[in-house]
Amino acid sequence: MRLVIEHLEKHFEKKEVLRDIDFTFESGRIYGLLGRNGAGKTTLFNCLNRDIRTDGGCFYLEEEGTRREVEPEDIGYVLSTPTVPEFLTAREFLKFFLDINEKSIPNPRSLDEYFDYIGILPEDRDRLLKDYSHGMKNKMQMLVNIIARPSVLLLDEPLTSLDVVASEEMKQLLRTLKEGRITVFSTHILDLALDLCDVIVLLSHGELEVVDKSNLDNGEFKEKIIAALREENQALENGGRRGETHA
Amino acid sequence: MLKTLLISFSLKNTYRVNTILYSLKQVPLVKRLLPDTIYSERAFKIAANILSGIWEMISVFLGKFLYFLFLISVPESLYRTAGRAELFLHLFLFLTIIGAYMNTYLFNPTRDKYYAMILMRMDAWEYTIGDYGYSMLKTVVGFLPFTLWFGLRSGVPLPVCLLFPFSVAGVKMAAASLSLLDYEKRGTVTNENSLGKYLWILTLVLLLAAYLTPALGYTLPEPLSLGFFLLCIPLGAAGFWIIWRFPGYRAMYQELLSRQMASVSDTQQISMELSQKYISLDRNITSRKKGFEYLNELFIRRHQKILWKSVKRIAGACLVLLAGALAAVRLFPEAGRAVNRLLLTFLPYFVFIMYSINRGTGFTRALFMNCDHSLLTYPFYKKPEMVLKLFRIRLREIVKINLLPAAVLGGGLDFLLFASGGTDNVLNYVVIFVSIVCLSIFFSVHYLTIYYLLQPYNAGTEVKSATYQIVLSATYLACFFLMQLKMPTLVFGGVCILFCVGYSLVAGGLVYRLAPRTFRLRQ
Repeated sequence: MRLVIEHLEKHFEKKEVLRDIDFTFESGRIYGLLGRNGAGKTTLFNCLNRDIRTDGGCFYLEEEGTRREVEPEDIGYVLSTPTVPEFLTAREFLKFFLDINEKSIPNPRSLDEYFDYIGILPEDRDRLLKDYSHGMKNKMQMLVNIIARPSVLLLDEPLTSLDVVASEEMKQLLRTLKEGRITVFSTHILDLALDLCDVIVLLSHGELEVVDKSNLDNGEFKEKIIAALREENQALENGGRRGETHA
Repeated sequence: MLKTLLISFSLKNTYRVNTILYSLKQVPLVKRLLPDTIYSERAFKIAANILSGIWEMISVFLGKFLYFLFLISVPESLYRTAGRAELFLHLFLFLTIIGAYMNTYLFNPTRDKYYAMILMRMDAWEYTIGDYGYSMLKTVVGFLPFTLWFGLRSGVPLPVCLLFPFSVAGVKMAAASLSLLDYEKRGTVTNENSLGKYLWILTLVLLLAAYLTPALGYTLPEPLSLGFFLLCIPLGAAGFWIIWRFPGYRAMYQELLSRQMASVSDTQQISMELSQKYISLDRNITSRKKGFEYLNELFIRRHQKILWKSVKRIAGACLVLLAGALAAVRLFPEAGRAVNRLLLTFLPYFVFIMYSINRGTGFTRALFMNCDHSLLTYPFYKKPEMVLKLFRIRLREIVKINLLPAAVLGGGLDFLLFASGGTDNVLNYVVIFVSIVCLSIFFSVHYLTIYYLLQPYNAGTEVKSATYQIVLSATYLACFFLMQLKMPTLVFGGVCILFCVGYSLVAGGLVYRLAPRTFRLRQ
């Protein structure tokens, strides 16, 4: 399975955020999406999740040579600030989720099995989600996204606010989940990206490009990524100056 | 000192100018015409500066004008007591005392104080003295024309009218200095926006003294009032001395502002926490239903504080009022005739009443804050059939919730109509009841529809849609203006029922067509 994005564009008023995204993601891989602050990582995710309308281009899934539309249930989107319905307990949320998706999740395991799997302790399962810690909310959000088995899993800075143990558990989980699906992982932490991801993709000047690791060691690879990101900054500045002279 | 004052002015002005430009950018249609670079364009800056200047003028004078008009002049014309000057002095005296602690300027935790003293680290004493001095100046200047105008009209001698603005400023300074002394002694900061229980009771007592006693035929004797206003001047001077000498503004404002602002960027956090307070912690609340019905039942039951409990209280209050009216009708035949006449011509008034008791906005707000803002990030929740299914369930719930007070009110009014002499046309009973019920359904449908069609919140729970705000204000204005309308109940009720039914059908149709696309988180 492949997620193909063709000439995707998105601008806010006159500011072009995504200029020409042309990229193919392959299943079974974790993509690390890197970019400077404001490069448009979240915008890209929001476009793919159809939270905002795109201004041009398209994206679709390709399975064994046939292309099809991306349906909402194809995408799992884990936000950096975890969002869970505060007025439900973890057990109620999970039950509700399984009820709603009973068609797409034919033989669900028991609720407690799921909680065991993600590591939410028995005494926490019947507490209201509003009283959950950040890390536990995050686990809950991941769990729901995993159970739905989306073809594409978008993760926006998911590990930044987790403690070391939780973050290590989450990384392990993502590795076991990568088979059969496309995982795109946006982060600012270079080491994390290098540690977890199979492919590093840069979002710069509104375009996506792969940073080729070939035979570089990690240190050299890091240098290369940083240099590439820095270039973007320079290009932007030059672009800005050009813009001014035009105006 | 002068420099601090100038900086604080320009800071306040920049803040205001940017607020003006920002709000312009929020108005639909207008925002398309404005360039992105609006904050840096000279022409826009100048225009906004002019608006800001006008706003400052308005803030100096308009409030005072309305204050004199509605709180003194209008009541004055209602009482038929001895000397008009005496009455004017009486009302003005009590209101001035209330204003002295409710409108101190010094203890008002505003954003510009936070920006200046906490964020920008300006010298707290210089800033406060400058800012406060300016406020006092504005008070004197703003009051002067109106104490002259309204005072002279009521026969207050010219020198007294000229003295008034200084008395007002004086009593404010005296009150503020007392709060400062209290802070020095006990360490508790006064916040004029969250007065304690005792001050509210005092306010009530003062208001009763101001407005009730003249109705009973008593007013303060003129020499006493005059003595008070004269005394305010030396008290003010003493207050000013204390304010000037006070050394601890930085620490005091740190406490006052940090509590109030809890960091400016965290307002959304605060609004979230406020909404989450409504979630019931009762462990016995469960549901045996499935899917969306399960979600809905848990939501309704965990939010009973703002939903069922609140409408039950409203329905209870309606019952008490209706019982009171009924008693009046039975005891005084004259009242009965008046009530009967009112019921047959004042139905438009009930549009506003139904508007005020509807729980629709509270419901949709809680829906978003505690439920949708998180679930809307999950793809399954946004599938069109799911959106519509949940819409149907929610519509049913909100209609049910609002129906209780409507039924009480509709039934009660019919009963009142019957008890106050009845009507020849039986249809009146039907129309009153049905139109009240229809109005309740209309508001329920209305709020839920605009919530689904305009979904005004972003993920950070801020309202991002100006259209939504405009629709809400338009709803309010429409209801407000309907109050002025007098029409036979049969006619208005009929029109009203037709409108409500028509609106609900159209709204439902629109939601079915558009909501799957519009019911999203705003970016």
